[in-house]
Amino acid sequence: MRTRDERNFQIFAHVIMIILSLLAVVPFALLVISSFTDNDTLVANGYSFTPEKWSTYAYEYIFKTGNSVMHAYGISIVLTIVGTLAALVLTTLLAYALSKPDLPGRSIMLFLVFFTLLFNGGLVPTYMVYSNMLKMKNTFWALLVPGLMMNGFNVMLMKSYFCSSIPGEILDAAYIDGASEFQTFSKIALPLSKPIVATIGLFSGIAYWNDWMNGYIYLTKRTDLYSVQNLLNRMMQNIQYLSQNSAHIQDAGVGLASIPSVSVRMAMATVGVLPILVSYPFIQGNFVKGITLGGVKG
Amino acid sequence: MRKKIVSLLLTATVSAMLLAGCGSSAETAATTTDTKTATDTVEAGDTAAAGDVAMQAIADRKAEAEKTGEYKKVVISFFDWTGRPAGLDRVNAALSAHTEETLGLDVELQIIDSAAYGDDMKLMLSSGEQVDLFNTCILGYSTCINNGYVLDLEENNMYADYCKGIQSKIREDYIDACRVGGVLYGVPPIKDYAIETCAVCIGQEYLDGIGYDVSKLPVGDLGYPKATWDDINDIYAQLHEKYPDKHVMATQDNILTQGSSVDNLAGDYYGTLLDPMNSLKVENVYESDIFKDWCQRTYEWNQAGYISQDALTDDTGASAKVKSGSYMAMMACCKPGYKTQISGECGRDMVVFDVGESFMGSASVSQFPWCINQNTEDPVAAIQVLDALYTDPVIENLMCWGEEGKEYQVNADGTIKYADGVDANNSEYYPNVLWLMPNPYVAYVWEGDPLDLGQQIADFNDNCTCKSKALGFTWDNTDYASEFTALKNAYDEYAPKLVHGFVDPETGISELNEALKAAGLDDYMAAKQAALDAWAKENGIQ
Amino acid sequence: MSGVAKQQGKQMTQKRNLKRYLPLYLMALPGMLYLFINNYMPLPGLVLAFKKFNARKGIFKSDFVGFKNFKYLFATKDAFIITRNTILYNVIFIIVNTVLAIFVAILLAEMTSKIKKVYQSAILLPYMISMVIVSYLVFGFLSTENGFINNSILRPLGKDPVAWYMEKKYWPFILVFVSAWKGVGYNCVIYLASILGIDRSIYESAAIDGASKWQQIFKITIPMLKTTIVMLTLLAIGRIFYSDFGLFYQVPQNQGALFSVTNTIDTYVYRGLLELGDMSMSSAAGLYQSIVGFILVLGSNLVVKKIDPDYALF
Repeated sequence: MRTRDERNFQIFAHVIMIILSLLAVVPFALLVISSFTDNDTLVANGYSFTPEKWSTYAYEYIFKTGNSVMHAYGISIVLTIVGTLAALVLTTLLAYALSKPDLPGRSIMLFLVFFTLLFNGGLVPTYMVYSNMLKMKNTFWALLVPGLMMNGFNVMLMKSYFCSSIPGEILDAAYIDGASEFQTFSKIALPLSKPIVATIGLFSGIAYWNDWMNGYIYLTKRTDLYSVQNLLNRMMQNIQYLSQNSAHIQDAGVGLASIPSVSVRMAMATVGVLPILVSYPFIQGNFVKGITLGGVKG
Repeated sequence: MRKKIVSLLLTATVSAMLLAGCGSSAETAATTTDTKTATDTVEAGDTAAAGDVAMQAIADRKAEAEKTGEYKKVVISFFDWTGRPAGLDRVNAALSAHTEETLGLDVELQIIDSAAYGDDMKLMLSSGEQVDLFNTCILGYSTCINNGYVLDLEENNMYADYCKGIQSKIREDYIDACRVGGVLYGVPPIKDYAIETCAVCIGQEYLDGIGYDVSKLPVGDLGYPKATWDDINDIYAQLHEKYPDKHVMATQDNILTQGSSVDNLAGDYYGTLLDPMNSLKVENVYESDIFKDWCQRTYEWNQAGYISQDALTDDTGASAKVKSGSYMAMMACCKPGYKTQISGECGRDMVVFDVGESFMGSASVSQFPWCINQNTEDPVAAIQVLDALYTDPVIENLMCWGEEGKEYQVNADGTIKYADGVDANNSEYYPNVLWLMPNPYVAYVWEGDPLDLGQQIADFNDNCTCKSKALGFTWDNTDYASEFTALKNAYDEYAPKLVHGFVDPETGISELNEALKAAGLDDYMAAKQAALDAWAKENGIQ
Repeated sequence: MSGVAKQQGKQMTQKRNLKRYLPLYLMALPGMLYLFINNYMPLPGLVLAFKKFNARKGIFKSDFVGFKNFKYLFATKDAFIITRNTILYNVIFIIVNTVLAIFVAILLAEMTSKIKKVYQSAILLPYMISMVIVSYLVFGFLSTENGFINNSILRPLGKDPVAWYMEKKYWPFILVFVSAWKGVGYNCVIYLASILGIDRSIYESAAIDGASKWQQIFKITIPMLKTTIVMLTLLAIGRIFYSDFGLFYQVPQNQGALFSVTNTIDTYVYRGLLELGDMSMSSAAGLYQSIVGFILVLGSNLVVKKIDPDYALF
């Protein structure tokens, strides 16, 4: 009886997940196909899974115009790796400290963390801090530090995981054995927290990879520091600006004439997501490893 | 104890911020007083020697540079379509080499792409970074004034003393058109201020297809066939019959901006001059016959099947639509040389039908003047560079076209073309924003354009038949920001359907006006009228 | 216990406390320092909301104008519609996205096949695509003339095509769908991590007691997720006056006919400020959204604390 129950559940789960996966993948397929469609065909016939005329011109445009996409990929990769590691260190350490129920000042610190989720000083004051006071403008630091390195939401998530999934007795036992706080943290708490560490790592990684805002604000001279998203976003917004204002700014259209404006934005989205897709199975491998380790703890 | 630490930390931040804020404003205060005393003494000395003042300032700077071994730097910001050009450092070096001689200072161009220009500049201007000269396009001239970013050019008589070149290049009424509340905050780039409204552009091949004979139409001032809306309707009907699978027209939300001579006072259509040549009465354009006729026209086109059912949602530009081959016509506004331009954009030969008239609205000159940052360290140096931008061909050539031999080469007839092996895509300096440049007509003319293009443009401006009486009126609407926001929302809700002909004007127009009135249109218009009356009185305009 | 022993014990705990807590404070230090720089140093800039910004005077010396910058948020009849839309959509999003994410997370956690990795990557895919691109994809499906739904589904079925961007009745569903479609992968990862943190031995003993799969899910998994659910919901309540600009502006293509069901505080403000470029006003809008969210979340947190202090945020 148990096996039938189990088998029914598995079938049910597969059916649901296949439907959901299709819902996610089909529009993405449309995105990729559109990026390989001739621009004029797109404007004339709309997006289609079976376009009349194929073209790789959008990709030629992206890879030939302006800064090198390959160089930008390099920046993005370094940024994502360094950023994710930094984010994990900051978040894990803080969340672990906050997870100790008897730590004096804990609730004030928690409140300070929570407060940042709701209030921010706004763009101009933030810019003044990083640009005028910390002199990060036009440096790699400007991509790495502002906004992304740690956020309250992830701290709360991880703290909640530490609280609920790591039994206090195990940690207490470690103290009695004479382990220091750092030892307990790194030898016991961390291994038990692989699922959440992987999750926060994934979120930070995606956030760093997808970020274009920092470069948009803080890079005005060092175009060699553009990340992929930065480069693509600028291209896309320039095209957008041109096409929307060609009616209002005379001569704006001149710049537009040779740009495959519709297919190029699809190609940009593809170029931006592709590396994540390629590397995701690798990240996921670690994620699954986390699962089994977390699973055996008991 | 805990509380103490927290409050200590908080005070630390606040005071740090205060210091940052204070520091910059104190500095500005200091510099302004400095310059004041400096010019005071000059004025006390001899006002007749204004030219000498400029020479003196340059000599002083050179002397100081000799002493310190370093030239003062003036940073000029504007935007282009592709971001900081690869060859910018080289062009900057060439520029500085020249300006060290002529002006006793270094010049640095800071080119940001159009995507980021608005936000980046706002941040830099708000936080006190060095930007000395900048163009207000995208940022908005009135936004810059309202936020206090810009310097009064006539402070300490600067404009009179140091801008002899600008005064000789730009007519005084155009300069006055940039005054806001009597204060001159910027000077306009030299370009076509007038527009020829209602230029209907139709692909030549489609006209050939229906066998339309363009030569039977009279020719207008700009050399394009003059047509009436009846002619256009007639052509559209034939086009639709001959090519039922194609959309006749790619409509845009430009029926007022490019399709009428209604003056959008202070940059918005909530309160306009319907007859800007003769009257200063602020009226609601959405209740006017001008708007109604247009909506009726597009409604009929839509009913007849000329317009795509996705017209409201498809944000592709009209020329890109025509280029795609599924649309045959579009409307824009034209000027000398437009046929070549639009044919290029649409990827096919286009016939431009001139249906409208030439028009120069109140804001046409003051759309995007060049301004000086209020925070600039040395206003005199900045304004002298500004003056040079209008007069010095060496600077202007570098700024518009880059370096000779690297980016361009000069033809026998005096026009220029790409240097050997260079094209638009691999050029290291090709900003392609000639219309933004202070005075592109002191620089070389690109191959294919007439050598006297500058003169042609000047004539086009001078001959404009419908010049708004309110030319030069600008208005600060920040006190009416609530109304403006509500009006914009009401407009976005009800107007686009009318503009693209999706609703019957009979019902749609009254719906729109009801919403606008509920949003506070009457108050907004009254405030505009009051500002306009005050402006007219001040400037002696009847 | 004798007095001396007591005294000794106290000294020992104090010593132990210091020894024990100092490392914890050291661990918290980098993170708190980052928050101080990134979030608290710019915070005094909030005064901008009460000032008329002037660059010449700087943020702190600009003229004080009181609540004038907030006026535009309440001045018109639209104020009710935009507030209602913002709150209602957020409530629906919280419910739908939470339920869906937990459901998917449970299925994934319980699946034995290796293919679940593929499923998981697939549903995370929409999260990677920016809202602008999503809006083009939605347009690809819903465009009146060339849309996939009109051309490939409705027409072959002999049904009349629908002008999707003119019919507001469909949009609440479309927006909820798009929001779930884009967000479910992300939320599901969070819940998945929590589920994987549950001690497997609890399930094993339940199974021995004859509990079915569904019973295990409802009796063990969901109760164990309660902390996470409550926390995420509380945090979401704090942002209930905010709306995803891309979802409400770009996806409906800023279509006027849909405003009564798509206009939110963020889109309303954007339309005005895009042209006004007034920093004080945008700062005011943000502060208003934050303060309302703050009050709501403090209130809900109090209620939660009353019921079970373990679930409270702080």
